[in-house]
Amino acid sequence: MAFQNRNKFCYFKENGIHEIDYKDVKLLRRFVNDQGKIMPRRITGTSAKMHRKLIKAIKRSRSIALMPYVERGID
Amino acid sequence: MRYYETIYIVDPNLDNNVLDKIMDEISKELLKTESKIINHRVWGKKRLAYQIENQKYGTYVLIHFQVGNQSKMIEFSTWMKLNNSVIRHMTVLLDDKPELFTEEEKKEEASVKDNSVENEESLSQADKVEKVPEKEKDKNTVEKLEEEK
Repeated sequence: MAFQNRNKFCYFKENGIHEIDYKDVKLLRRFVNDQGKIMPRRITGTSAKMHRKLIKAIKRSRSIALMPYVERGID
Repeated sequence: MRYYETIYIVDPNLDNNVLDKIMDEISKELLKTESKIINHRVWGKKRLAYQIENQKYGTYVLIHFQVGNQSKMIEFSTWMKLNNSVIRHMTVLLDDKPELFTEEEKKEEASVKDNSVENEESLSQADKVEKVPEKEKDKNTVEKLEEEK
């Protein structure tokens, strides 16, 4: 897992990102697990404000088929 | 004034002429809501995350516009839904005024993409380097066990 054994920090604060675009799938993929589920804040370390925006963006990109609702993970 | 972005998916197997016709139709319909179109461009052919109407791929088209008559937007949305050539659509409110799209931006985007790809490659290589010693360790332990036997 990408987030294990690492000091927690907000990715968006660190990189000075204030708005999240739902079309930026490459960025959103970081915050979703193999099954396509949104990762919890306690694991990713995202700040509460940016996590709310992140969720919105992920759900938007799901509805326009840029990201999957469900994806089969590795067995 | 409020700015919106509409994204819609069209069948990827269409010819350019047909696609242009569809885009013209949609912009005509959008102009009925007295809104000003800023950008109307093809974003690209992409693989859909899940099948829609038995399609695995889709051509994404973006419209940026300033809305004129808000109450007529519902009619536009229903028209898009009934339009058979549009597989799926979504309208989103924008925070800032969208910039005019030019070809130069495209080049910049491409260069940015290249950089990110390089970064990813380096990351993946780093991962591999990390993973390899673990495997070796496993082998070593296995060998030790065998020696003990």
